[in-house]
Amino acid sequence: MSIPRSSSGKRLRSVVPGWGLFKGMWLTFRTFLRKPVTVMYPVEKEIPPERARGVIALDVEACTVCMLCARECPDWCIYIEGHKVQQPPAEPGGRARTRSVLDRFDIDFALCMFCGICVEVCPFDALFWSPEYEYSAESLADLLHGKERLTQWLATVPEPPALEGSEPEGGEP
Amino acid sequence: MTTPADRHLLAMHRSEAAVSVELQTEDMVLNIGPQHPSTHGVLRLVATVAGERVRSVQPVMGYMHRGYEKLAEVRTYAQITALVNRIDWVSGFANEIPFIVAAERLMGVEAPERAQCIRLILTEMFRISNHLIFLCSFPAELGAPTPLMYALRERERVLDLIEGVTGGRFHPNFNRIGGVKPAAGGGSTQRTRAQDLPKGFIEGTRRAMTAVRHVCDDLENLVLGNEIVQQRTIGIGVLPADKAVEYAMSGPNLRASGVPFDLRKVEDYLPYDRFDFDVVTMPNGDNYDRCRVRLEEIRQSARIIEQAVDSLPGGPLQAKVPRVIKVPKGECYVRAENPKGEMGYHIVSGGGRRPYRVKIRSASFCNLQVLPWLLEGALIPDVIAILGSLDFVLGDVDR
Repeated sequence: MSIPRSSSGKRLRSVVPGWGLFKGMWLTFRTFLRKPVTVMYPVEKEIPPERARGVIALDVEACTVCMLCARECPDWCIYIEGHKVQQPPAEPGGRARTRSVLDRFDIDFALCMFCGICVEVCPFDALFWSPEYEYSAESLADLLHGKERLTQWLATVPEPPALEGSEPEGGEP
Repeated sequence: MTTPADRHLLAMHRSEAAVSVELQTEDMVLNIGPQHPSTHGVLRLVATVAGERVRSVQPVMGYMHRGYEKLAEVRTYAQITALVNRIDWVSGFANEIPFIVAAERLMGVEAPERAQCIRLILTEMFRISNHLIFLCSFPAELGAPTPLMYALRERERVLDLIEGVTGGRFHPNFNRIGGVKPAAGGGSTQRTRAQDLPKGFIEGTRRAMTAVRHVCDDLENLVLGNEIVQQRTIGIGVLPADKAVEYAMSGPNLRASGVPFDLRKVEDYLPYDRFDFDVVTMPNGDNYDRCRVRLEEIRQSARIIEQAVDSLPGGPLQAKVPRVIKVPKGECYVRAENPKGEMGYHIVSGGGRRPYRVKIRSASFCNLQVLPWLLEGALIPDVIAILGSLDFVLGDVDR
């Protein structure tokens, strides 16, 4: 039944019995005297870095209802509706233009996997990452953030952080 | 004809037989898991035990099957990058590397030097994070919850650095075909504004590496020097080198058996040849050595990161790639040294925006094959110790 197997290598036994245990206990004791590294969460908070992906903010003015974000979203959690309005021509005798108006822009944060693809594909700078993270809700339905709620997050979007060392010349193609 | 004396003898034999039958208990089938805290998720082990000894073990997996290979067929390459983070969530970034490199090779694109170096630094950071998780979960399974606090404390520093660059702690989704893309705080203005490592990253990395080395020394005293841990691990779950190779083990589990095989030295998916580091091997292949290999690998990773940070080349982060990424027809297999072992992606592309088929070779799944052999004849308390020492994640097993 059982295959006898044994380790042939050296056994690390300490000279004094229990010395290893004592060293471990000594480390525990030293740490016991140190200041704790944890923060007492609701009272004090850690500041997430500027790039932290906490919540997505929407700039309604910039959005042109192009639907790129909704199409590229891997779990299809962005719901966009819009309608077109006729705009009077810019100068008399010109052609009347149509403009898209955003009616509904919902992000279901219960489905969102925070990959950031929508922010990245937006060609008009309408979506931003905000490091804000305190928006837990008691029901899944409350995690569906509408246009107004997403616009509120815009105030929490920080400036991008300063960069390290040399600036790359290429950037995004 | 039997005399009464004979009958007495017979009766004695019968009673003796009854006693021995009572002692020789039947084999019992014991289900360990799927909801067991020490199986790292939802692994079920059907163990046939004779008393305290395990006669045979059959691992049952698939409780967490999420169908990644099928999901990948209906997603674009950029979306799959976000997806593969979640395969092995302890080392999310390292999962992206082989996939992205495979797609890049199919497209004939090569990431710029700086991007490759940043990839390398972050992969090694995730290796440190993964091994620190091992060094907190493995002693916890043996009954020592204290090292958990020390290991997680320093892991937090590493994760903070990762979050500062990529924006995500666990799921960075940071690689793009042709380079890396630091997550931007400021929306898509990033397109016109260069996004690179944030200020203070290099300084923070140096400090974190010092702290990580320090906690390695602490953990060595606390875990590996502890007599109780030694008695629970030395000579238990011994996996000889020939068996390890036979069962296609990879990563630290293979190196703990004394086979110096490291894909970082063999393959060229990232510029590891520029840096000086050792392939850590241990002679015995028991639980103790598997723990020890990982501790030493943290030190080696810290060494690589320090060298890489010192010689970080300048230049762009992105190669020129078309806006809509279409991968030409063909197939490619790229394997990489994940913290848990060899991870590879075989991409078959039909020439479109989505791959035709993606085959994922994950390290944990292949490392689990050895379980029936390794657990045969083990004591039940050692089953947990051996399981823990193999360091698998069920997301990586079931995909």
